[in-house]
Amino acid sequence: MIISRKWLQQYIDISDLAIEEIAEKLTNSGSEVEGIQKMSQGTNLVIANVIACVDHPDSDHLHLCQVDLGDEIVQIVCGAPNVTSGIKVIVARVHAMLPGGEIKESTIRGQVSKGMICSLLELGVDAHYLSEESKNGIEILPSDAPLGDTNPLGYLGLDDEILDVGLTPNRNDCMAAWAMAQELGAILGREVHLPCCKQKEYDEMPTTLHVASETKKCPLFLGKIIHEIQIKPSPKWMQELLMAAGIKSINNVVDISNFVMLETGQPVHFYDMAAIPEKEITVKDQIQEEYTALDGECYDLKEEDIVITSNHKPIGIAGIMGGNDSKIEASTKGIIIEVAQFDHVSIRNTARRLHLNTDASIRYQKGIEPLAADKAMHRACDLLVRYADATGIEKTAQYGTYDSEPIEFDIRVDRINKQLGTDFTHEEVMRVLTQLQLAPEPCDKAIHIKIPSYRMDLRIEQDIAEEIIRILGYDRLPSTMPQMASTLGALHTAQKVKRRIRQILCGLGYNEALSYTLVDKKKVKGAIMGSEDVYELASPMSEEHRYIRNSILPSLLDCIAYNQARNHKDIALFEISNTYQVGKVEERLCVVASGVLQQNRWQKYEVKVDFYTLKGLLEALLENLGFDAKRVQCKENTIDHSNFHPYRSAQIYLDKKCIGMVGELHPTLAKQYDIVDTLAMEITLDAVLHSKPAAIKYKEISKFPSISRDLAFVVQQDCKVGDIIKGIRKNGKVGKENIIQAVDVFDVYTGEHVQSGYKSIALRISFQSNTRTLNDQEINTIHDKILQTLTAELGAQLRS
Amino acid sequence: METLGKLKEEARTRIQGCTNLQELQQQRVLYLGKKGPIQEVMKTMRDLPAEKRPSFGAQVNEIKKQIEQDIEMRKAVLEVEEVQQRIEKEKMDITLDGQKPSLGNLHPLQLVQQEMEDLFIGLGYRIEEGPEVELDLYNFERANIPKDHPARDMQDTFYINAKELLRTHTTAIQTRVLETRAKEGMPAIKVICPGKVYRRDDDDATHSHQFVQCEGLVVGENIRLSDLKGTLQFLAQSMFGKQRTIRFRPSYFQFTEPSVEVDVSCHMCGGVGCPVCKKTGWIEILGAGMVHPNVLKMAGYDPERFCGFAFGIGIERVAMLKYGIQDIRDFYTNDIRFLKTFTRFE
Repeated sequence: MIISRKWLQQYIDISDLAIEEIAEKLTNSGSEVEGIQKMSQGTNLVIANVIACVDHPDSDHLHLCQVDLGDEIVQIVCGAPNVTSGIKVIVARVHAMLPGGEIKESTIRGQVSKGMICSLLELGVDAHYLSEESKNGIEILPSDAPLGDTNPLGYLGLDDEILDVGLTPNRNDCMAAWAMAQELGAILGREVHLPCCKQKEYDEMPTTLHVASETKKCPLFLGKIIHEIQIKPSPKWMQELLMAAGIKSINNVVDISNFVMLETGQPVHFYDMAAIPEKEITVKDQIQEEYTALDGECYDLKEEDIVITSNHKPIGIAGIMGGNDSKIEASTKGIIIEVAQFDHVSIRNTARRLHLNTDASIRYQKGIEPLAADKAMHRACDLLVRYADATGIEKTAQYGTYDSEPIEFDIRVDRINKQLGTDFTHEEVMRVLTQLQLAPEPCDKAIHIKIPSYRMDLRIEQDIAEEIIRILGYDRLPSTMPQMASTLGALHTAQKVKRRIRQILCGLGYNEALSYTLVDKKKVKGAIMGSEDVYELASPMSEEHRYIRNSILPSLLDCIAYNQARNHKDIALFEISNTYQVGKVEERLCVVASGVLQQNRWQKYEVKVDFYTLKGLLEALLENLGFDAKRVQCKENTIDHSNFHPYRSAQIYLDKKCIGMVGELHPTLAKQYDIVDTLAMEITLDAVLHSKPAAIKYKEISKFPSISRDLAFVVQQDCKVGDIIKGIRKNGKVGKENIIQAVDVFDVYTGEHVQSGYKSIALRISFQSNTRTLNDQEINTIHDKILQTLTAELGAQLRS
Repeated sequence: METLGKLKEEARTRIQGCTNLQELQQQRVLYLGKKGPIQEVMKTMRDLPAEKRPSFGAQVNEIKKQIEQDIEMRKAVLEVEEVQQRIEKEKMDITLDGQKPSLGNLHPLQLVQQEMEDLFIGLGYRIEEGPEVELDLYNFERANIPKDHPARDMQDTFYINAKELLRTHTTAIQTRVLETRAKEGMPAIKVICPGKVYRRDDDDATHSHQFVQCEGLVVGENIRLSDLKGTLQFLAQSMFGKQRTIRFRPSYFQFTEPSVEVDVSCHMCGGVGCPVCKKTGWIEILGAGMVHPNVLKMAGYDPERFCGFAFGIGIERVAMLKYGIQDIRDFYTNDIRFLKTFTRFE
């Protein structure tokens, strides 16, 4: 909302306040001033007369001017193409401060210059306000401009200051200058005088106009015929105010329609009466045709658009733009005034589809107060009589009714103080309510108030509480803490577990990543353990962000590619995020790693990431969360050979339920992403968060010695070490106790000393009892049993 | 006896002359071994008359003891010397790089979120989360945002279908919490609701179609607007330093009435004005207000009896201010250099 100081000054005296002060008051009471613009700037200016102008002897474009400033005659060198003798101009004297800097006495190519003849651009006037002529040269003033006047900007009406006020959606009433003045009056505690609309200063004839609406989207339509008006320029003050509001003056009649809209917030449209000979206006929708609006452009009307018609032909797009045939021209003799209410959602949709955001459509979209139509009609007639010599005024033809029930209710000061935590007095509250035009009347313990029609945001006591504190100032609000029963602040178990996971992974060198939830088709298809039954947006902004992801890994592979492309080869990332399939949400953990995880180069120490790095990470992580090796298993990958290398990946099981995948990327996929050496793991956390972890239970540490034996077997190449260890462990029982404490693989060998197709596995088995010292004989017995089992079940040969 | 005296002197000289523990051991064997002179002398004791034997024996033992003592003393010295020599050989360049383990970091948004969570846990709040694919009901309807409101437009919201959408604010969590607590008959609420939210914005330096919000909600029988101010003052001081003050400016949100924008005095300049606060001394940091009675009523509360306050803060905004990050897209690019910036424990 743009409003100028002079516009406000019409209704409320603010001449003693700096514009910055006004801006601060508005901002602090809820209407944030986002900018202050002075229409022009400059000190030490004077209206002067160019008494002589000759070409500069030493230049092909400069002029040498003798200029009468009223109190002295000075020589000024001027480069403007339009300078000539005998014109009135604006001169910035020596020491004048202009937006471009200070004016100094100077010598230009050997000629003294004492001042500057100014263009309006040099005086800081926005090009938006200026004609081509004004933009291209110095400003030439009318010949009767007062010589020696030291306020040329005031003379031109360019001394206004403009506030750009950001309105909150509940205060769209302030789009109307009258409401804005009321608001400022309430904030400043000053009287506001709005032009009175009640008294008609003209006679009215019976109406000959017929108005109607065939759509619910137009509940009220006012029409009025004025048979005679005189088209001429508007008064200067009106032109200046419109200019400050960013609207170009056209003629008195068009200017009045704009002026009334800015004052009341209600769009007003004037039709050339000659273009509507039937004197019939009907509002319709369900029209489909091409239509030329008054901007000369052709628009496609659709069934949902509200259209103003006469004799079944469109004469305007309701609330947005009038028609070309009926627009006000210099030749216009009589007019028909339209003031109406239209459905704001419909206007919004039409305006958006047609890309037509006009001053009128913006106001309709934001909602117009119910009684504005009446105010606008009166005000328009008043101004037309006064400034367009309107005669032959008919009575208003009306379709529909004003939808405005007066709103009144009671508020209580004690309750408001209790809600706010304040101690405002009854008198203070009464004063604020009066300033806000709420007509407060004390009754019993309460105050009865009446809400003016334009304050559509005030409906309940809380609304009034806000009004009171914003006017009295939020600096009156104390700081307190809630007084309620104490509660235990804590994370839920699942939240604690997730924090623990983050902590462990960070501790092991993995960085937390965060990638977008919305992904493209390719990522959805490349999901880990995800069906393609995913959520698709109804109106995505791009193909890149069309689907809600069903897996995290594809996003993190992008991150690997991004970093590898920048020559960062050592990457370890994880992300915890929700993934979605239709009707199902799964919280997941994804880990990706590439290159070297830990290293110290000069010591030749490094941990290069491979399958076993992530497998070990998973085991350590789950063990720490209470799921020991017995509950966690990696099994052959039988479900996903497109994302993962079939032989260097595994399905992860927790308590016999598959919870995810781990492994090396399939070379083809890696190539697609243009990445190398990448390992990945993705698991659903739901199983982890909702399975019961083992409790910490202390088992006494054995006091008896531990004995270890090393064994080496030759087995077939595809024999699994996991099976060998199982075979070993199941032979460890002595009585009720399994005395095998640990089985560690310390070598896996294939090569010249082993027959091809076979491998050698070396293990160390540790034996220990909790109850006694073991003797060689029992260990030998177990040793033999192990050999028998492994030979029989796996064809293992003891290596000598 | 004279020989013995000589022996002792000779042994002492030899022992002193030993330069390492090996030589010393040789001397020990030489003097005190079975074939050594002491044993030899002891053997001659048999030839002495019985009455002289004890004194002779005592003298020999005395000498033996002295030699032993000399050896032990020399040994102590040599041992120290030996350690010293070994240490000298074990010189190292301690300026070479250590085996520095790579530690990972939390994402900066997670860092800020956890900081806020912990702060409010300390005040007795619980943390509540909710679905990102949300019903229109909880995201808009229950938040007092009516059907034809522009925020509900397809232009601004990622709809999936007529009923479901990607939540546009974490207020959706609050409306769910309100409903659950009202149903459970546990009306008092103190919760923090962090989570990802989505809006139909073009991504640029200051806009992101996905971002993280954190909202707070307190409902009880005597909650006042001043309690909101006290709570947010605490938040501002914890996040941005003890010296921070806050100010309320009136604003408008459908979910709350009265509604306020909250500014924190600038942590860069202390409030005198700098580029970070655009020379105003204040930084707009969150939106807040008293929960609108309609919101309470729709969730099943009696707004005559219960009231509450709510506030919402953008985690990205806080992180950008705290760490001086200029481009919001940096949070989602996952450049390893960016992620590794947030290493320091704070």
